[in-house]
Amino acid sequence: MNTGTELWLFAVSLGASALGGMLGMASGIFIVPVLTMFGHVDIRSAIGASIVSVIACSCSSAAPFLKGRLTNVRLAIVLETATTAGALSGVLLAGAIPASYLFFIFGMILLLSAQQMLAKRRDPALAPTQPFTGRSTTRRLDSSYLDRALGRNIAYRVERLPMGMILMYGAGLISALLGIGSGVLKVPAMDTALRLPIKVSSATSNFMICVTAAVSAGAYLVRGDIVAPIAGPVALGSVVGAILGAHFLMSFSNDRIRLLFVVVLVALAAQMFLAAFGTDLFRGTA
Amino acid sequence: MSGRTIKPIRIESLLAGVLNVGTWLASVVIAAGLVLSLFYERTPFPTGAQVVTAGIGLFILLPILRVILMLTIFVKERDYKFAAAAAVVLLIIFAGFAIGILSK
Repeated sequence: MNTGTELWLFAVSLGASALGGMLGMASGIFIVPVLTMFGHVDIRSAIGASIVSVIACSCSSAAPFLKGRLTNVRLAIVLETATTAGALSGVLLAGAIPASYLFFIFGMILLLSAQQMLAKRRDPALAPTQPFTGRSTTRRLDSSYLDRALGRNIAYRVERLPMGMILMYGAGLISALLGIGSGVLKVPAMDTALRLPIKVSSATSNFMICVTAAVSAGAYLVRGDIVAPIAGPVALGSVVGAILGAHFLMSFSNDRIRLLFVVVLVALAAQMFLAAFGTDLFRGTA
Repeated sequence: MSGRTIKPIRIESLLAGVLNVGTWLASVVIAAGLVLSLFYERTPFPTGAQVVTAGIGLFILLPILRVILMLTIFVKERDYKFAAAAAVVLLIIFAGFAIGILSK
């Protein structure tokens, strides 16, 4: 591993993470394709490096959300029982799944992300009209946050927790398999099942990502799947990129850039599918 | 961490502080390791790569520390249902390590 490679990895991760951060996405979804296709890193090392950067991004961006009281800490720990269980299953599966399948699943997730980016998210949590009822434990998850734009406290309630837990299990599993934060699966869980306000679900899902990723990262680290000369620059680049990306979050939400990203995601998906069906070609260079 | 009325706001600012400091610490260790590996590229030094691995280890420890903190706070608040959730999460994380060691 020479200086050039180290700098290249750092720069690429910085770029991927900054771009991801601008769109409110995790960087992992870009890091694995870029590392495997352009860096000729083998997919398991790429996943190992990516999962560390996912932890780094999640930890480094959690503080402002926590201080702004957007993160629902209680809900997070309850959902984490499902995401970590999913991640544990993912770790168990990861060894048994051939690389070509991993490329294929990754391609599917990229397409799903593209589709989600096209469909604009509507805020599912409007002010609750019914009185708060239900089981006491579930109701203790309800909370409120101060919306700075609206200048008032918004109360919200958590709905359909069991369905949310099932989707979170799936998100954890995919996260461990592919080394991504899998926000792409958490968004539907938060929006359609739990019906949380967007700001709360972004903050809470970001908060949960590091703990979910810790399960697989821990397993991959002790197993020796995390290659320090790759994972180090990638993690560092991601932290710097995430900080930069967060600063530009507001100004880059226009439609043209969303469309550009949809194109990028679809192109990456196509590449991943090619790799899935022609692994021999890629393995030669890995 | 003193006093028995730890309000949710305190949980949140405490966690924010820990995550912030931890991120900085891990990043600095990784950066130091990378710089070291640039300078001692060819020497069989207790080197770069090992320091970088330590930094990566710190990043992985950070979420674990966060769950342990939440567990302690929930227990202190006698909020046993959420403490139980935190304990389950912690056990699953350790199970991940165990699987990693066993499948080496």
